[in-house]
Amino acid sequence: MSALTLYQIVALILLCAGLFGLTQRRSLVGMLICVELMLNGAGLSIVAAAQLTDFSATLGQLGTLFVMGLAAAEATLVLAIVVVVARRFGSAQTSDITTLKE
Amino acid sequence: MNFDITLVVPELYFLCLVLVLMIQSLGDREWKPVVEKWLPFGAGLGFFVAIVNYGHEGLMLWDVYRVDMMSQFFKIAIAFGFFVTVINAARQPTLAEGKRSDYYMMLGFSALGLMMLSSAVELITIYLALELASYSLYAVIPLRAKNKGAAEAGVKYILFGAVATALALYGLSYIMASQHTTYIAELMHKSWTFADQPMAVVGLCLFLGGMFFKLALFPFHFWCPDVYQGASNETAAFVATLPKMGAIVILARLAVFLKPGLEITTLLAVLGALSMTYGNLAALAQTDIKRLLGFSSVAHAGYIMVGLVSGTSEGLAAAAFYALAYLVMNLLVFWVVCRVAVDGRNLKLNDLNGLYKKAPVLAFSLAAGAFALVGLPPTMGFMGKFFLITSAWDHGYNWLVITLVLNSAIAIYYYLSLFRHAFTEDKTPDLTPAPDNSWFASAGAGLLAGAVLLAGMVPAPLFNLAVEAGRSLMP
Repeated sequence: MSALTLYQIVALILLCAGLFGLTQRRSLVGMLICVELMLNGAGLSIVAAAQLTDFSATLGQLGTLFVMGLAAAEATLVLAIVVVVARRFGSAQTSDITTLKE
Repeated sequence: MNFDITLVVPELYFLCLVLVLMIQSLGDREWKPVVEKWLPFGAGLGFFVAIVNYGHEGLMLWDVYRVDMMSQFFKIAIAFGFFVTVINAARQPTLAEGKRSDYYMMLGFSALGLMMLSSAVELITIYLALELASYSLYAVIPLRAKNKGAAEAGVKYILFGAVATALALYGLSYIMASQHTTYIAELMHKSWTFADQPMAVVGLCLFLGGMFFKLALFPFHFWCPDVYQGASNETAAFVATLPKMGAIVILARLAVFLKPGLEITTLLAVLGALSMTYGNLAALAQTDIKRLLGFSSVAHAGYIMVGLVSGTSEGLAAAAFYALAYLVMNLLVFWVVCRVAVDGRNLKLNDLNGLYKKAPVLAFSLAAGAFALVGLPPTMGFMGKFFLITSAWDHGYNWLVITLVLNSAIAIYYYLSLFRHAFTEDKTPDLTPAPDNSWFASAGAGLLAGAVLLAGMVPAPLFNLAVEAGRSLMP
């Protein structure tokens, strides 16, 4: 098994863990953590693809840095919205946040 | 790095606009002139700048940024959409007083991101531009004072959006690993069959998933009705129209790889068919107008796919033209919805009853918008569908064209129910505030309705622009 495959398997495990957690977690902050897990798995996969194949390593590292930076920005934005949700609903549990239906 | 400042004048103009808004949002709330007084003029000038800059061509910034007919076409569309949504939002009743300049700053950032997206020709650049456009939208959705639904819509949108982004990034990493490049110009010459490059095909599917999310294509549509319903009417007018432009331009650029018969092309066609069928069937059952429009945009995302699978420059031209038609039609319908709901509430279909007596111009414009969304002549929606069908026929996806036609028949029911409600008597006593019948409301609705009708009767000038745009993408 090549090194690239190993890295990709690890990244896929992170993806599956994130998706599983996203469906199972009951709190919005927990869901945010799962999303971060997926994004960082994607970063790992990108940097592995860049280092271990003919793809330009610089470009891959640059891309991963962008992914990390934007994931951090996204986390602050999600937390800010969670604060808004918590103020308006008085709760940050997914089961309480269901007003948009018919 | 061959930077030519004349090529990016529209982007620079929007950047300046956003910076001014940022300064105003940081400053004293008492600053004059208030943002609604000057921004419509600023946005109108932006539209003008985008038109003047049409026709420029060139590659910039180490070949990741390409200014061509396609990008300029969509920049004009985006600048126009921004102009209309800014005027539309100027009387927004549900926006807190202290947050007005921030609100417009976010909208401006999003429009800037979408403009950059329409010129990006490298996958990492596309990702960055897409995130610039999305993040500012995520922040705008909950800005509906004290409304629970808006907060719920905001958190759903951002979490699903982050998942779609993560999947797109996994796709990006697989494309990197197997094709060794992220430049669209080089990817164009690679093999995209599943037998040769299974990993690249999976990667491209995942990457396209990120765009499908923006476009609200089935099965990435679930955020769409919720966000439209939860966000304020004016915000929904922006979310429903402009981000789709960005997604369509990227799909058109990537569709250059997709020759008919490839696995990905078939997948796109199947998703398109499912999307229009599901969107239309789900819309039949809706009573909330914005939810109905949400499902209608899921269906329209499916229609756009018809143009992308044919693998010809005519198909791309038809998709670009339909994108423009979609933009104008939805701006028109949302304009009417925002004017009828003067207190910023969510409208039910029954709230439209008797509109023709209370505000005849709005009722007529809504009828024009509904006819255009169905695709009846002589409107822009009809010409858009006509071009889509003629471009896709005989390119291997005739079943998709037939699905489109059948779906248009289903769609008649719920679009015309908009029309039916607006032109029936109002039997219940009036408890809700009357629709805005001022010259401002009527003029905006009349002009947009005029544009929809005029572009349907004389489509050639606009369609020629779209054809130029389609040709500029094909090798």
